[in-house]
Amino acid sequence: MENLQSLLHGFTIAVTVPHLTLMVVGVLLGILVGVLPGLGAPNGVSLLLPLTFGMQPVSAIILLSSMYWGALFGGSVTSILFNIPGEPSSVATTFDGYPMARDGRPTTALATAFGSAAFGALVGVILITFLASWVAQVALAFGPPEYFAVYFLAFASFVGMGGAAPIKTVVALAIGFAIAAIGIDTVSGSVRLTMGVDELVKGVSFVVAVMGLFGIGELLIAVEEEFQARAVSSRVDWKEVFRALGRLPHHGIALLRSAAIGCWMGITPGGPTAASFMSYGIAKRFSRNGARFGTGEAEGIIAPETADHAAGTSALLPMLSLGIPGSATAAVMMGGLMIWGLNPGPMLFVDQKDFVWGLIASMYVGNIVAVALVLLTVPVFAALMRIPFAVIAPLIVIICVVGAYSVSNSYLDVVLMLGFGIVGYLFKKLHYPLAPLVLAIVIGDKAEDAFRQAMLMSKGSLGIFFANRLVTTLVLAGMALLLLPLALQIVRLLRKSDEAAHEKVRII
Amino acid sequence: MISRRALEIAAGALTGIFGVVVVVSSIDNGIGWSSAGVDAGTFPFLTGIIIVLGSLYNLGQGALGRGTLAMVRVAVTPSELRRLAGLFVPAAIFVAVIPMVGMYLAAAGYVFAVLALPKRQPVLRALVIAAVTPLALYVVFERMFQVTLPHGALAAAFGF
Repeated sequence: MENLQSLLHGFTIAVTVPHLTLMVVGVLLGILVGVLPGLGAPNGVSLLLPLTFGMQPVSAIILLSSMYWGALFGGSVTSILFNIPGEPSSVATTFDGYPMARDGRPTTALATAFGSAAFGALVGVILITFLASWVAQVALAFGPPEYFAVYFLAFASFVGMGGAAPIKTVVALAIGFAIAAIGIDTVSGSVRLTMGVDELVKGVSFVVAVMGLFGIGELLIAVEEEFQARAVSSRVDWKEVFRALGRLPHHGIALLRSAAIGCWMGITPGGPTAASFMSYGIAKRFSRNGARFGTGEAEGIIAPETADHAAGTSALLPMLSLGIPGSATAAVMMGGLMIWGLNPGPMLFVDQKDFVWGLIASMYVGNIVAVALVLLTVPVFAALMRIPFAVIAPLIVIICVVGAYSVSNSYLDVVLMLGFGIVGYLFKKLHYPLAPLVLAIVIGDKAEDAFRQAMLMSKGSLGIFFANRLVTTLVLAGMALLLLPLALQIVRLLRKSDEAAHEKVRII
Repeated sequence: MISRRALEIAAGALTGIFGVVVVVSSIDNGIGWSSAGVDAGTFPFLTGIIIVLGSLYNLGQGALGRGTLAMVRVAVTPSELRRLAGLFVPAAIFVAVIPMVGMYLAAAGYVFAVLALPKRQPVLRALVIAAVTPLALYVVFERMFQVTLPHGALAAAFGF
């Protein structure tokens, strides 16, 4: 195996004292930006970039990618503890992570999340190691119709799985699409749905929506239920960290399935966000405990976290091998690559063997460093849950306000965020599902763009979605996932079983 | 006291109005198929129509008292409403004064007011938290990550 040899050579580059130090520094900074909402991996990587100009390219990319791993892990922390997702890809982690933490098991929730995330990342790196050249070809086969089919698949696997009233789900989804459409239309360049407000031209960032819907909305629900009355007494318990990790192998199927979904969505540029939502939706449908999802199920944390990190890791592959950045962070890193005098693309694997394999080896080591550091911090973060609610509530409000503002230095965003808070409260109260709404805000415009570009290619014929084997398979799989619950429902109705009516499903 | 029926109707009306706004403003962008492909307004127009129709259905269901939550009559009791206002009103005031006094002063005042005035925390501890919060914001955002938070008209008047 030529790849294995190159990898071993890569390890000799990555495992040196200066590079290990860089990894620790990068991971710690990454956890910091990940935990702070409003600041994400793109901010952190951009700010570190100038520092790397004097470095060797390998050292520079190790620092930046370590920061990326740290941010990915850190993003899950606030999702679980405060229901404020730091990154779009950790939105799905809030569905079960937050209920579990609120029930007094923050340590378990965090350890489960980090453990499964590490597994996902590991699978992603192994995939990169062995499939680097083959994967490049798959990604090249992706045009607009295939993109749309992948997004369609993500929607299909997620929508309709909740227990909410169908029409309420449809309304929530459509509102999400409309919000995603606000601002400049990327296909035609015209400005849409701004109602003459100039500040809306940049669009409504998902961060603003998510902080309001989940952060403020959840806070309102919590004060209404007098959450402060039952303070969460979580002891700092080191053993629980290892107990939670020890329970992970029991969910082996969920881990493998989620990692597969994540890798697939990372390589086909569906991205970590679509991957985590899709993985959660599929896990809910196929898990034995599917009905209890949303109330603090371990598998509800494992599924999105594993897929998120598997996708995040494998998404670096298209960047290296094709020069197509899969995420904002990857785009910034690619900028760095060019500044250091490297050209991303197929030739990178030939010309810059040391760089590529040093990076891949550093992904193994960097993720191990990240997991170790982040597990060490679990008890510290879990202790945050012991601060009285009266103190934590105004701090969460401030974090949401600052986070919404810092997205694009806009005061309007802060006001919008508060508005989303009221909407989140109202929707939660009346059992409108929030998850389809958020999913539509995050990938709605991308799906629309892909659809319209596909229509341009085919001159308006829908036949393009059945033009080749890849896209046909994707579309059919999406339709099957969409129709499956409908078919099950009809079967249930025909049997007239009363059990279904009494099923209590938490609406997410 | 707010009944669930009233809340359902309000939510239906709210989403419905949003739908109408989306429909109306997307007509300006053009709907349908032109030489440049699918027109920019088509998708928002369709989603707007779906929102309006769905909202009408939800509104009707709510008004008739049917649907998944039919058993729940009361949505928000007076004491719950008071607690909601207790969180939201100070937060809204905090946001409202940001353009004037800036993020740091507003945050400090907000924390102090929420913690000390209802006597939830001892005054001294409230003071400490109120002082540390903006300081932490300053160090992390302005210093470490160079994200400028609003300083407000007041600071501008003093030349900051």
